[in-house]
Amino acid sequence: MRRGWRRGRAPARIAPEQTIAAVREVSVDLGGTPVLDHVSLEVRTGEVLALVGPNGAGKSTLLGVLTGDVSAASGVVEMCGRAVHEWSHVEAGMRRSVLLQQVTLSFPFTVAEVVAMGRAPWANTPMEDDDEKAIAAAMTATDVEGFETRRFNSLSGGERARVALARVLAQATQLILLDEPTAALDLHHQELVLAVARDRAAAGDAVVVVLHDLNLAAAHADRVAVLARGRVVDVGPPDLVFTPELLSEVYTHDVEVIAHPAGAAPIILPRRARR
Amino acid sequence: MNVTSSPRTGELTSDDTRAAAPAATRPVPPPPSSRRTRGAFLLMGLGVALVAVTVVAAGRGQMAIPPAEVAGSIAHRLDSGLEWVLGRVGVTVDLPLDIGPLPAHVQGENTLWLVRFPRVVLAMLVGAALATAGALMQGTFGNPLAEPAIVGVSPGAAVGASLVFVTGTSALGEWTVPVAAFSTGLIATLLVYFLSRSGGRTEVVTLILTGVAVTAVAFAIVAFATFVATPEAREQIVFWQLGSLNGARWVAVAAVVPFVVVGLVAAGWLARPLDLLSLGDRAARHLGVHVERVRIVAIVAVALLVGAGVAFAGVIGFVGLVVPHLVRMVIGPGHRMLLPASALGGAVLLVTADLVARTAMTHADLPIGMLTALVGGPFFFWLLRRTRSRAGGWG
Repeated sequence: MRRGWRRGRAPARIAPEQTIAAVREVSVDLGGTPVLDHVSLEVRTGEVLALVGPNGAGKSTLLGVLTGDVSAASGVVEMCGRAVHEWSHVEAGMRRSVLLQQVTLSFPFTVAEVVAMGRAPWANTPMEDDDEKAIAAAMTATDVEGFETRRFNSLSGGERARVALARVLAQATQLILLDEPTAALDLHHQELVLAVARDRAAAGDAVVVVLHDLNLAAAHADRVAVLARGRVVDVGPPDLVFTPELLSEVYTHDVEVIAHPAGAAPIILPRRARR
Repeated sequence: MNVTSSPRTGELTSDDTRAAAPAATRPVPPPPSSRRTRGAFLLMGLGVALVAVTVVAAGRGQMAIPPAEVAGSIAHRLDSGLEWVLGRVGVTVDLPLDIGPLPAHVQGENTLWLVRFPRVVLAMLVGAALATAGALMQGTFGNPLAEPAIVGVSPGAAVGASLVFVTGTSALGEWTVPVAAFSTGLIATLLVYFLSRSGGRTEVVTLILTGVAVTAVAFAIVAFATFVATPEAREQIVFWQLGSLNGARWVAVAAVVPFVVVGLVAAGWLARPLDLLSLGDRAARHLGVHVERVRIVAIVAVALLVGAGVAFAGVIGFVGLVVPHLVRMVIGPGHRMLLPASALGGAVLLVTADLVARTAMTHADLPIGMLTALVGGPFFFWLLRRTRSRAGGWG
């Protein structure tokens, strides 16, 4: 586009293991119902932070608060050293990318066009030169190369989910927020997506991911935050947080945590009656 | 992540082969240029079609003028016009543009330049305005069935026009109806927008439903005006709502041009954000789009485009709905191509429709709104069926 006129610069990278985003004492009411109740949580660069908890625990709302979509009734929400609402839309788009639970597209754009949309915040900046590289890398990472000319709406659910993730990765932000990125995926692609998340964390990004599969969280997250009824019940490394007592109480269902025979992440299973 | 399900048409065989392939970064694949190439061809094709249909339309009527003479007349005017402009800046040249035959009939030149061309150019402008406005509406609401009427421009304009006819006022001379129609159209649109806004945000569904409510009230006022009007005024109200380019003059063209230009410039600014808006409001915001700003700019642009068109031509439906869809089928949904191609397509369509309106029956000027609705209605139905069979309903 207009290459002569360029606005903005790339935001400075935040050093590893520093706080990139944080909520402090945040409460949210939606239609009079308290959804988050004095929640505090820090997101650090270089880590994969998994948000887990039963349905209606407030995971997606917490993610919405971090993006600035949901306004907190009280408390402080920070991103990259400022209150989240102080960033303009474009500035925020250069700093954090978001994958929503619902991926929809109203018009029949091709996969290549959808992934390229992820580069929108960098239009008219010097980083525009990286567009092709970022798009190609994102499509390789999510295993959707070769889909370029196909229409997004003609893809299967799992394929769409990966294309949507490719769009998020192409945005190349240091903070990445993923709301249930694995829900529609097969076993192979679930592992692939979380491996991508870990690669990004290893490269110094911060990844917050909402997960329902506790085994995925235990295997791939550096820290997990367990939410229940709008509160953070516990935060920390999965092997410390995922205890049978805590999980059984949070999910109101007996949960077993079994040590993996080969020393990998523990196996978490709901206790079931013998058949 | 829940992905809205739809019948899977693509094959899923690639997974297995891909998993075995090395995961190394491949060379950057060439961008899918087919849509862009097709877009360029479509723009060129529509440009040529517009010139052709203009020359033909200007030649047809009670006094037939062959296309060669029409083209010759344009060439001569262009030649003398350019020479005059160059003369003003001190360059005296004899440009070789005065080619082709001039109209053979004594009144030919006058008919062309005082009657036909103003009407053809106004049709062009109104068509471009309506089609662009339709593309903007569909993009802004992420709804392929949106059209300018949903934000109340035309119903609002009908209120102004019918009140002028009923009261018989002529405060602004011949400009009374256009000014009244334009103002009430704009007021109705802003009313829809601000009534549907809450907490700094507008929800699409709320906005569409507010549009329905405002439109209902507008039609009630028009109905009341029709009821109390004298037979003569009643006739004016009815015919105004059917739309016509009858009696178009250069002053009307000059009045419409600035609004259309402003609207088209705004459309150009909106092209990129509208692409992103197809991901939904939230995802677009995450990509740096100021969704509310885009929406208000789009709505004002639509009000200006449609308001200006409706003010001089009355209500002309379905152009805004049909043209963007046809264009999208050919070159895809990218707004950077869709908007200019829709403008050209709308111009071609309305010049053609107006040609039919005034030549289909001798000594009669058919209402152009009737013609566009006659073609647009069945098309709308077909679109509905097609979308339904593809996406499995609207739920």
